[in-house]
Amino acid sequence: MAAVETREKVSALAEKYKYGFVTDIEMERAPKGLSEDTVRYISAKKGEPDWMLAWRLSAFRRWVEMREPNWARVHYPKIDYQDAYYYAAPKNTPAKQSLDEVDPKLLETYNKLGIPLSEQMLLAGVAVDAVFDSVSVATTFKAKLNEAGVIFCPISEAIRDHPDLVRKYLGTVVPVTDNFFSTLNSAVFSDGTFVFVPKGVRCPMELSTYFRINASETGQFERTLIIADEGSYVSYLEGCTAPKRDENQLHAAVVELVALDGAEIKYSTVQNWYPGDEEGKGGIYNFVTKRGDCRGRDSKISWTQVETGSAITWKYPSCILRGDNSVGEFYSIAIANHYQQADTGTKMIHLGRNTRSRIVSKGISAGRAQNTYRGLVSVHPKAANARNHTQCDSLLIGKQCGAHTVPYIESRNPSARIEHEATTSKIAEDQLFYCLQRGINPEEAVALIVNGFCKEVLQQLPMEFAVEAQKLVGISLEGSVG
Amino acid sequence: MLEIKDLHAAVDGKEILKGLSLTVNAGEVHAIMGPNGSGKSTLSYVLAGRAGYKITSGSIRYRGEDLAALAPEERAAKGIFLAMQYPVEIPGVTTLTFLKTALNAQRRARGESELDAMGVLKRVRARASELKVSEEMLKRALNVGFSGGEKKRLEILQMALFEPRLAILDETDSGLDIDALKLVAEGVNALRAPERAMLVITHYQRLLQYIVPDRVHVLSAGRIVREGGPELAHELEAKGYEDIVRSAA
Amino acid sequence: MNVALDARRLKAAEEFRAAGVPHRRMEAWKYSDLRPLIDAEQVASAPAAQWSIEAEGVELFDPAAGEGAFAGIMGEASLAFATATLGLRVKAAGRVRIAFATPGQARLRIVLDDGARLDYVESAPGGGLQNIGTEIVLGRGARMTHARLAQRAGGARIGDVSVTVAEGGCYRLHCADFGSDLSRLELDIKLRGIGAQAHLSGTSVLAQGLHADVTTHVDHAAGDTCSTQLFKLVAADKARAVYQGRITVRQGADGSDSRQTAKGLLLAERAEIDLKPELEIFADEVKCAHGAAVGDLDADSLFYLRSRGIADDEARALLIRAFLAEPLDEVEDEAMRAALWAAIEDALPGAMGQP
Repeated sequence: MAAVETREKVSALAEKYKYGFVTDIEMERAPKGLSEDTVRYISAKKGEPDWMLAWRLSAFRRWVEMREPNWARVHYPKIDYQDAYYYAAPKNTPAKQSLDEVDPKLLETYNKLGIPLSEQMLLAGVAVDAVFDSVSVATTFKAKLNEAGVIFCPISEAIRDHPDLVRKYLGTVVPVTDNFFSTLNSAVFSDGTFVFVPKGVRCPMELSTYFRINASETGQFERTLIIADEGSYVSYLEGCTAPKRDENQLHAAVVELVALDGAEIKYSTVQNWYPGDEEGKGGIYNFVTKRGDCRGRDSKISWTQVETGSAITWKYPSCILRGDNSVGEFYSIAIANHYQQADTGTKMIHLGRNTRSRIVSKGISAGRAQNTYRGLVSVHPKAANARNHTQCDSLLIGKQCGAHTVPYIESRNPSARIEHEATTSKIAEDQLFYCLQRGINPEEAVALIVNGFCKEVLQQLPMEFAVEAQKLVGISLEGSVG
Repeated sequence: MLEIKDLHAAVDGKEILKGLSLTVNAGEVHAIMGPNGSGKSTLSYVLAGRAGYKITSGSIRYRGEDLAALAPEERAAKGIFLAMQYPVEIPGVTTLTFLKTALNAQRRARGESELDAMGVLKRVRARASELKVSEEMLKRALNVGFSGGEKKRLEILQMALFEPRLAILDETDSGLDIDALKLVAEGVNALRAPERAMLVITHYQRLLQYIVPDRVHVLSAGRIVREGGPELAHELEAKGYEDIVRSAA
Repeated sequence: MNVALDARRLKAAEEFRAAGVPHRRMEAWKYSDLRPLIDAEQVASAPAAQWSIEAEGVELFDPAAGEGAFAGIMGEASLAFATATLGLRVKAAGRVRIAFATPGQARLRIVLDDGARLDYVESAPGGGLQNIGTEIVLGRGARMTHARLAQRAGGARIGDVSVTVAEGGCYRLHCADFGSDLSRLELDIKLRGIGAQAHLSGTSVLAQGLHADVTTHVDHAAGDTCSTQLFKLVAADKARAVYQGRITVRQGADGSDSRQTAKGLLLAERAEIDLKPELEIFADEVKCAHGAAVGDLDADSLFYLRSRGIADDEARALLIRAFLAEPLDEVEDEAMRAALWAAIEDALPGAMGQP
């Protein structure tokens, strides 16, 4: 009897992807489909200089000849790239000088998402750039950042106001034609975030971008570029949500990070795109290319990701450890429940001397989900004394899910040391019973045990977001026991 | 408080308890003794509601309520506490976090207000020192890397913290040296109260020197074969189970 | 010899023709590129391999009737094109020593009846194109010990071994590879019956520009199956040592236990070691763990030995032997173990950069 009740409770809870609402707002869209005209439309909408349009067009022409990759362990029906919109923006949204000018409906949307954009209400010390479908709708704390010399703005604005910086770095980490999805992004990206932290500056606050897909049948292609000049430091966090819809929507972002001598970038993601329903209907296809270049000596790039959403996740935030003594880190939690599929991991490319990397991956599979860690550690001949340690743990909840580990280890320098460890386990019945006996209900017990399993990664998140992420871990696994 | 009537229970389709009856009133401490395989741990798991321990017939009433209808966490909230023979390790979950989660889950279920971290810590601290549970232990992952003695002390600390009405101590003495045993027994004795009942399950008479029971029951092959006062434990120690079980049969 | 191509062989030939000679853009051959060494026509027209065999307790038969499951594309090629074939059947207890005498292609089928035992030692010296496909079928409770010695050679040497293990059966393999222009042992092991086991171990000791690739796939297709793997690779000069190991635990194969360790010792600036230890898990009642590591000799150990008066070369040799000892300990037959150690001793000076 108790079990039945629990099951009812569970299915009630599973209903609550609480970010699944739609904002009713008038949109302006590019005509459906993808052609050179679409690319020109987007570029014109953004008032871009000719060099940017030429860059986009060269990407588009390459993309037409490219094939969708099929090596990942993910399965989905063929995507018709002509049957989608590539640009959608709330009407009348030129860059805002103050939040007072932003459509109140949008402010309300972000309030509902728990991201209040009014500056007084913001969590102390976090600057937010809010991207709604294809455009940035608000960026907060600009003045304070300006004082420190930090540029934090929509990338569309940076292309206009800081063309030299953008031209110098855009496409230098993820080349225009890197892969199918990044090339598509290069052609049609509509907005995203640009950050430049000048020499010796420690960014005075956490920077954060909040991505929201709202329009239907629309792909989101944001592009983020972060440059940390010599001796600087920045911590950046992105969050993502989308409405519940039966259709699948494509999200193909590109993120490029550049760390010069002695600079450090900490990049955290809490990805909670709509994962589809319990039958696997709907949800976001999250095909993302993220790469950081430790271009300077003694630089450091650290990726932390909590991936709980999306019907399909295909992403491998990577580090090119070019500068001597540079450090790359990848801390990941990937949770796949119901019919979700995740194929995620990292690449650590050791080029410089004394470069170090660390990978901690925690994969949790439940329901009928498939969760794959795929990672490359490559030590090139000149990377003397390179070091890598990888810990890759998988947790299975239930009998119909899968957990897979595909590490590639390639060493071409004798003084390098690489260590890889992987384990697969399940939530033990005795752990669960112990929690129940102490009065904790099954849902909460699973959340508690899984949070313990993920602890090493959760600790890497900025404090303000760690608590949210812990809750999200619990919510994502609702309905996984019963 | 607890009334078990003609209880039959099976694990994996195999009947372990075969007509067990037992009544425990508030304020009493009962000892259940028996040889290995007599069904002692099965009884404790059936009372706590562990999955896989199936009641095939008979009844358990706890404070007038049918226990079988309740989920394990509901039983806990209603005051049933099982100190386990092998406390479970949960990596990454700090002991204090666990205590807070459990205490608040029980309080919530009872309609009481939840406590914040400081409130929990205060209550834990008040009980930790006499059980020699250090602050450092509270910061470590639950039971991970704890010695046998540390684990058992933490079980008793939880019992003190949750203030159960019916405490079941399953082989709490196993794996303890004499000093640790005394410490644990003192902790248990401190919790004896008129409104609380205890069921002390043990193989040896040793623990009962320190926790003196009101009644002793001998369990054999899934049934209680003899009952008596504290002196029965001494008789068992002297004669061994075989004699007692045979003479009872 | 005029063997009619039955359907299975025809299919194998088609598959090979479709895939072509394996190359590095195929995921399974990422670290072993056959294309610069041979073309498809050479594979199709490879001469019959010849061998000498000592056998006790086995029945010979002609396996031409096209049964056969093979691990990879070169296994398919051996089924499609090999004109040299050999079938071995063991009813009780057998012992086989087989030495391939020439390059060329061959196809073997080894069948162990329920409860049978076989001690099988194979020597594959290589030279030119050698492609030996071996299909092994273990009946209930059957046990086979397989040792493979691949001497230092030139050319392309491929061993493709497919094994199915029935309930309670046990397959043990030890392979020692000293490299070739391209040397590859590809193993596909299906633990088909409850309680079936596979225990794999091996060493690759490579110098000059030599290559050796051990690729395994252990498929836990039934409950309570168990597999262990322990491979140690040493690469010096411009050598390249590869280990790819995939473990699959299928849905319902509860109680499976699988452990896998691969370690590489990289001794020179231009050498390379590639490891890909892969897990593919569809069951939750399992114990699976793998570990992999690459590095050079431990500097502290080396210094310690030298501080006790042991010369650098000798100290290095000592540490390399220590590194390799663990998989060799898996070899139960003492004579075999001694022979493997002797082969390692021969290879050591080369691996340490001595002529």
